[in-house]
Amino acid sequence: MSEPAVEVSNLTKVFSTGLSKNYVVAVDNLSFEVAAGEVYGLIGPNGSGKSTTMKVVLGLMAASKGSAKVFGYESGDIRARNEIGFLPENPYFYKHLSGEETLKFYGKLCGLKGSELKDRIAELLKLVDLEGAAKRRLGGYSKGMLQRIGLAQTLIQNPRLVILDEPTAGVDPVGSRQIRDLILKLKEDGYTVFLCSHLLEQVQEVCDRVGIIFKGRMRREGTLDELIRIESQTAMTLENASPELISKIHDLISSDDAAKVIEEGHPRTTLERLFIQIADQNRKEESA
Amino acid sequence: MSESTTTLRAPAREVPLFSIRRVWTLAISTLTQLVRMKTFYFLFAFAVLLLAIGNFNFASSPAQALSTVKKVSFGAMDLFAWLFAIVATALLIPRDLEDRTLYTILSKPVRRIEYLLGKLCGVLIVIGISLSVMFVVCAGMIQWKEAGYIAEEIGTTENQITEETRQAILLIQKNGFHPELAIATLASFMKAAVVASVTILLSTFASSSLFTIIISVLVFLVGHAHTMATNFWLAESDNSIVVQMLLKLFKIVIPNFQIFSFSEGIVQGATVMPAAIWQMAGLTGAYLVVFMLLSLLTFVDKEF
Repeated sequence: MSEPAVEVSNLTKVFSTGLSKNYVVAVDNLSFEVAAGEVYGLIGPNGSGKSTTMKVVLGLMAASKGSAKVFGYESGDIRARNEIGFLPENPYFYKHLSGEETLKFYGKLCGLKGSELKDRIAELLKLVDLEGAAKRRLGGYSKGMLQRIGLAQTLIQNPRLVILDEPTAGVDPVGSRQIRDLILKLKEDGYTVFLCSHLLEQVQEVCDRVGIIFKGRMRREGTLDELIRIESQTAMTLENASPELISKIHDLISSDDAAKVIEEGHPRTTLERLFIQIADQNRKEESA
Repeated sequence: MSESTTTLRAPAREVPLFSIRRVWTLAISTLTQLVRMKTFYFLFAFAVLLLAIGNFNFASSPAQALSTVKKVSFGAMDLFAWLFAIVATALLIPRDLEDRTLYTILSKPVRRIEYLLGKLCGVLIVIGISLSVMFVVCAGMIQWKEAGYIAEEIGTTENQITEETRQAILLIQKNGFHPELAIATLASFMKAAVVASVTILLSTFASSSLFTIIISVLVFLVGHAHTMATNFWLAESDNSIVVQMLLKLFKIVIPNFQIFSFSEGIVQGATVMPAAIWQMAGLTGAYLVVFMLLSLLTFVDKEF
């Protein structure tokens, strides 16, 4: 099996608040892995520790305890960052640069030059559909355009891992769908995507696996199928079933030859319902 | 599921642990940022100032007029250099942090020392270009005025140049342009480089740009009284170990800006000792290394 793209082991991050020696545990003994090639979504409410976890993975923060690795390299190691493309929430790039100059700047920081850099910029501008705005300064870009140029800069050095923090925050539905499609395209192209999002429907659409984090702790983790399956219930999908049959279905289904069971399995909830359920549970645990 | 249909990305190519190219990229980006912030508009203000003092008859003699033009213009250049070094440097890093541009830069394969060096070099390139342009404009103006005054002196004599005229011309030439003025400009540049490195150190831990600017200006002013302050303390103290330690700390933390003050003498026509230039260059280099290392110490573990 290939090496995990992200390996977070017993990660704890504690912040001290001012001079009062009070401490806030932002991330509490968190462990999870993101396999190479998968789209992993970390979801949780504000202040749950998602962004802190991402920052530790990126090496922008140091772990108080535990570790975070990227393709086997300790986070913070320049070789780990070489494998990462990062899009922060509400990215603000240098407004005085044009879209093309922005990609050139980040490309050069990643060691690209000459025709290789030029070709890569053209390729990425095409991918994010910003060829027409390449020469325009970012100061004149819309939120959706900024997000797309941000996504392009994450990919400039062809990283193996793409980390997206709230990639569709503040973007209109059309822009949001474009970004969703881009994430699916990244997956097709073999990138590993690790994202945080509040938009649970979108996470459900793009993620292979999801981790639900509350108060810095992992509450549930698994494939979408595992997470949203309701084990205690069974659903049947029937073909050519009359209303009468539906009313008697539990008694008749085994004896009626005209009715055929097309699918039988576990009905699904939505990720959103599951999330709210865990949040309620969490609140009850705290008040108990 | 996905593993069966898609090919995983290949590992990234190796990156050097330290790269001058990355520093240069950051420096050029800083230069572009400052240029697009209309920084060079200051040069127009300088040109206007120079034209104003050049065409204003406030001196009793041509030599005095030339001396005043030099003092004011080189004073303005020096003021621009250190003030710009403080303000631009104090604004750049906090702005990157505020705009989260720092996140995207530091999440690329960029070392924090490369980022700091890139910012410093960017500011110094702007100061270097500005000082060069100002020096050329200034030199042109002084030479033009000098030639005019000499022509006037010669014009007053009817046949041959008298000793009195020769003396007047010599005095004009003494107060006019001489190549050593480039050394004075270099001293302004080096002083600005030290000020910028102090400001970078402060901005790596300061909570606001205003604080950084105020403290940098204070350091700059105290640094001009370096020798006076250390002599005073040595004379007044009982030379205990604590005082000695504090003095050493003061000498390290507060750069001695008096080493650059010989440039004022150059502007006034004094000759330059090569040893003074080498001492200035050596100390500038040492200060830059010390302040950049201290900046790195505070910046390397800074959390964003």
